[in-house]
Amino acid sequence: MEIYLPIAEMSVHWLILLSMAAAVGFLSGMLGVGGGFLLTPLLIFYGIPSEIAVATTASHLTASSMSGAIAQWRRKAVDFKMAGVMLAGGLVGSWFGVILSGLLRAAGQSEIAISAGYVVLLGTVGGLMLNESVRTLLAARAGLSPPPRHQKQYAWVRSLPGKIRFRQSRLYISIIPPIVLGVVVGLLSAILGVGGGFVIVPAMIYILRMPTNVVMGTSLVQIVFVTAMTTVLHAADNYTVDIVLAAILVLGGAMGAQFGVRMASRLRGEQLRLLLAILVLAVGLRLLYGLVATPNDLYTLALGGS
Amino acid sequence: MRAVLLALLLCLAATATGAEDLVSGLSQDQVEITSNYTGTDIVVFGAIESSDNNSTPTGRDVVVVVRGPDAGMIVRRKVRIAGIWINRDAMRFGGMPAYYFVSSTRPLAAVTTPQILQRYQIGLASIEPQSMSTHVPAKAEPFRLAAIHERVVSGLYAETTNIEFLGYSLFRVRVPIPATVPRGEYTAEVYLFRDGNVVSAQSTPLYVEQSGLERRIYRFAHASPLTYGFAAVFMAMLFGWLSSLIVRQQS
Repeated sequence: MEIYLPIAEMSVHWLILLSMAAAVGFLSGMLGVGGGFLLTPLLIFYGIPSEIAVATTASHLTASSMSGAIAQWRRKAVDFKMAGVMLAGGLVGSWFGVILSGLLRAAGQSEIAISAGYVVLLGTVGGLMLNESVRTLLAARAGLSPPPRHQKQYAWVRSLPGKIRFRQSRLYISIIPPIVLGVVVGLLSAILGVGGGFVIVPAMIYILRMPTNVVMGTSLVQIVFVTAMTTVLHAADNYTVDIVLAAILVLGGAMGAQFGVRMASRLRGEQLRLLLAILVLAVGLRLLYGLVATPNDLYTLALGGS
Repeated sequence: MRAVLLALLLCLAATATGAEDLVSGLSQDQVEITSNYTGTDIVVFGAIESSDNNSTPTGRDVVVVVRGPDAGMIVRRKVRIAGIWINRDAMRFGGMPAYYFVSSTRPLAAVTTPQILQRYQIGLASIEPQSMSTHVPAKAEPFRLAAIHERVVSGLYAETTNIEFLGYSLFRVRVPIPATVPRGEYTAEVYLFRDGNVVSAQSTPLYVEQSGLERRIYRFAHASPLTYGFAAVFMAMLFGWLSSLIVRQQS
């Protein structure tokens, strides 16, 4: 059951890749996360070159965010003005990120940079998730409700200039924080192949103070276009998008997500979050091990140049 | 330059010795990499024609070399910095064969002298880049060895002694062509050695091509990358839209 990937120039077992995408899709459907931060490392563990894993996962994320975004749009839970402002930043970030990836690739450091980036990202996100889910579980056991969160906007956010009104979100804030947020997500998407939902969703809730009912839809619309832009730029600049691999990932991801969404209603959220936190930390540790452990072969070979 | 050498040699072999000659061929002169390609074997076969019946198999050797197209290679060495292994030193080689296979009737060291092996670039130890990014050969040496080692590990370089003789004059050898070989023009060279000297040689071209959809995708991605990128995005969005339709129908 092997198939030849024309851009990665290698034979792969397509069934294994399909199952990997389905498993990640299942988790993302169940937990409402994009799953790029799990899919990219899995592809790297499988042996897909890091740069191709990153660029191709971006196109997979376009597909999976697209179906989510359409569903939210039907519910009118999208603030298009906010998405547009964030997207402006996102496109700039993605463009910088793709240029940076190209430079890292030329310097032969892209594999190490991607691994190191993931170690930091997964360590932070996993740690925060673990902390929060353990706390909530402990609080639930003690019979307490989780502590209420303060709803006032931070003073530094309010003091920024360039305020505009976002009607759908019932906000009147500066456009600087959403643009900066967009840039960060664009960079993450181009360099690491993640949608960045786990960064923007909390930021939109806690920093921008957007109402939670529009956060999901708005971030998904934003992610669709940023990952689409990232895909086009990676294809144009670095030739690292493998369309055959993308098709396998998209198909597997869609199948897994279907089951994930159905399972989500039957399972307890907090235990799932704890499981995901442990999984994220495990993947991060495995990547860290790869960076720190003495390699079997100190030399690596890349074709190219003349 | 090697082609000229080979042609000269053929003339020499024809005029000087005349006693033994070589004919050889390939089981196929074209290898196509398709979507279910997992690697294949080609067979190089041949016969030794001898004009006098007194010639004996002792002191006679056959060496088969299959070379891929030349490629640029960058070899990097990892160094531990602050606990993390980072690529630091790099060496660029130009004109290394992307694929190299050699097989001989006896180990190469027993066939002839290192000088002759070097001259014809026979054997893994004789593979030399045509150019490198340093003027100090001693500095490049560990990198050259590492490049050869890496290619051996990934199955793209090999040195064996598995030439089969069927009777006195017929021989054949299986040459593995793994799925990861690069496209391009290959050559299959067959050398006949007598007492350590090349007495006859023949070279046959072999083409490795990506065919079918893969090839077209690869060409598309490199010829019009921007359109290719948009096509990838279009496919992703179409899939996303379709799966949202399915979700809607079920709920």
